[in-house]
Amino acid sequence: MGEDERMTDFMARIASGQRVEANDWMPGEYRDLLIKQIHMHGVSEIMGAYPEKEWVPKAPTIRRKLALNAKVQDEIGHGQMLLRLAEDLSRPYGRGRDALMDDLLDGRVKFHNVFHLSAPTWADAGVIGFLVDGGAIITQAALLDSSYAPYARMLKRIVAEESFHMQYGESVVLALAEGRQAQRDMLQGAINRWWSPMMFFFGPRRMGKSAERMMHYKIRTKTNEELRQKFINRYVPRLQALGMSIPDPFVKQDPATGVWGFTEPDWALHTDMVRNNCGPESQSRLNLRKQAHTGQQWVREAVNEASRLLEREGA
Amino acid sequence: MNSGQKSEGSGWVALIKPVADDEWIVAHRGSEWLGLAPDLEEDLAYSSINQDEMGHAHFYYALLEELGDPEPERTVYGRPPEQWRNARILEASNGDWAQTVALRYFYEVFDDLRLEGLSHSLWQPLQDGIRTIRREESYHLRHFATWFDMLAVGTPESRRRLVNGIDALWMNLGDLFSWGQPDTWLAAMGLDNLSEPVIKAAWERRVGDKLEAAGILWPGPVPAPLADGRRGQHTQDLQALLNVMTEVQRTDLTAQW
Amino acid sequence: MPDAGEYRVYEVFFQKDATDFHTNVGSLRAANPEMALQMARETFFRRDDAYDIWVVPQDSIFASPHDAAHLPVRGMDKRYRLPSGYDNAPHWKRFKAQAMTIEEVAEDMKTRGKGGPS
Repeated sequence: MGEDERMTDFMARIASGQRVEANDWMPGEYRDLLIKQIHMHGVSEIMGAYPEKEWVPKAPTIRRKLALNAKVQDEIGHGQMLLRLAEDLSRPYGRGRDALMDDLLDGRVKFHNVFHLSAPTWADAGVIGFLVDGGAIITQAALLDSSYAPYARMLKRIVAEESFHMQYGESVVLALAEGRQAQRDMLQGAINRWWSPMMFFFGPRRMGKSAERMMHYKIRTKTNEELRQKFINRYVPRLQALGMSIPDPFVKQDPATGVWGFTEPDWALHTDMVRNNCGPESQSRLNLRKQAHTGQQWVREAVNEASRLLEREGA
Repeated sequence: MNSGQKSEGSGWVALIKPVADDEWIVAHRGSEWLGLAPDLEEDLAYSSINQDEMGHAHFYYALLEELGDPEPERTVYGRPPEQWRNARILEASNGDWAQTVALRYFYEVFDDLRLEGLSHSLWQPLQDGIRTIRREESYHLRHFATWFDMLAVGTPESRRRLVNGIDALWMNLGDLFSWGQPDTWLAAMGLDNLSEPVIKAAWERRVGDKLEAAGILWPGPVPAPLADGRRGQHTQDLQALLNVMTEVQRTDLTAQW
Repeated sequence: MPDAGEYRVYEVFFQKDATDFHTNVGSLRAANPEMALQMARETFFRRDDAYDIWVVPQDSIFASPHDAAHLPVRGMDKRYRLPSGYDNAPHWKRFKAQAMTIEEVAEDMKTRGKGGPS
């Protein structure tokens, strides 16, 4: 079968809603787009663990400490699962986990803007669980019908775990909203910090080439704006119900179209931050990852060597 | 608990509090490794182990409440260092992964022996909890025993770091085996196996076998402690730990979180 | 082939309970089978129960793309192999007797000493 025929066949399968599996023939572009998407998704989950892990030692109750520990663990678990998918797709390129992790440490793969930012108070940890996870759930749920079946399967699992995160995040935010004035003020402060970054989180209205091509291959099926609108529609009424204000006077729903207006986030600032890892916490968190991965290569080498020795002994 | 045991109420507190505090403190230091383990899969395993320990601590604190102590939240967030009964070695800042493996392996062997002893206690709620806890702890022991073997055998570097970790810990292990008071009360509760000399000897036997199998020189018997965490004698590390742990909660002691 | 310093990839299979077969849930990296088993537990079974877990080196699994010849296909009518390909009930009715199903037999085996449905 010639390449053109294969491509026509492939696109026909995609169009009819059939899924693609890891061992199927796929166009090089499809593979590369998937790697880019899933790799970024995976490292974002891992980098997202760092702002929240700061708050585990400081969690103010036993219950919160256990729950936040479990939540951070899930994020790392999601990162692990997604990286495995990206690694499998990268096998034809001879690239494994070390290569994919080095890409993160050397700035070749990006992670979401929100994880470059500081989480200075307990309320920030709560708002990350509420708004940031809320946004992530929306984008992940939208990917459940991805044409690439291994990704869709993994997302099913991830979304199921995220539902606990949603409950947890809401619980923390509700406790603050129902609490003392100082707690309500802390919550409002956190909302003020995270709202605009969440507007950036979903990406530009005019999607880039990669995003467009992913739509073409049904790797994703919803646009950035559709997802952002879903987010605003879901969270604005809830924040207002809590008596919190949205730090943006232009967040209003057009009664005729149902479309929400909002102030454009600082596109240049956040893009620069993501592209160059120059956000307030980008380097400090990448250093933690470097410490964990590169700094502890000696551990992995030791375990591999020990395993080889034991295998030889027939243990 | 029947009236015959009521007079031993303080005996049960003296028995359970160090166990609770050990589990809580070891879990707290363990949780500092989130996102920093040597590989992603280990990050998941290690954080589960620490969550287990936190859960165990919570169970023990709930039993203490039944015995007349404050509710667990107050016990965990409200005590100054001198009221904590954990072993000093557990409150120390984390070393590298090799030292952490050594520490956790040493602690899990000790906890295994302690739980075996506690399973003979005559208080049903404690016995029931111990049964479940032992199932989880058997995974912990297996996990760190495996890691210990890997690092001992792996490379010259891993071996060197493991030996350094063992050396750094050994001199300060003493109060792990202590109960903070003479052991006669343990005999009165039928728990002789938990007395300091018995548990220490059993621990040294097991760890001795492990070190021998790994070809690591026996550092000699664990020296008697100069200070006893079971009597509330703690290092600066515990104060620092508690400061961080209570940072948010202290902003408003009456607030709900 | 990825860097020799990498851990091996193991596919993880779990058995929900004694009467189920093992199912794949994902994969992980580990240096040896013992560690793979220990890691599998906390990578995939933090919340779910597992009666049993298998870990299999990924390169021990052979698979083929979807349109390969070895995969089953709905081809010629093979209703003769299916229970739904038979309709004995109306025939038994003529003899004033009841048709039987395998489900009844299994159910009957669960009850002790009784005759069960005839």
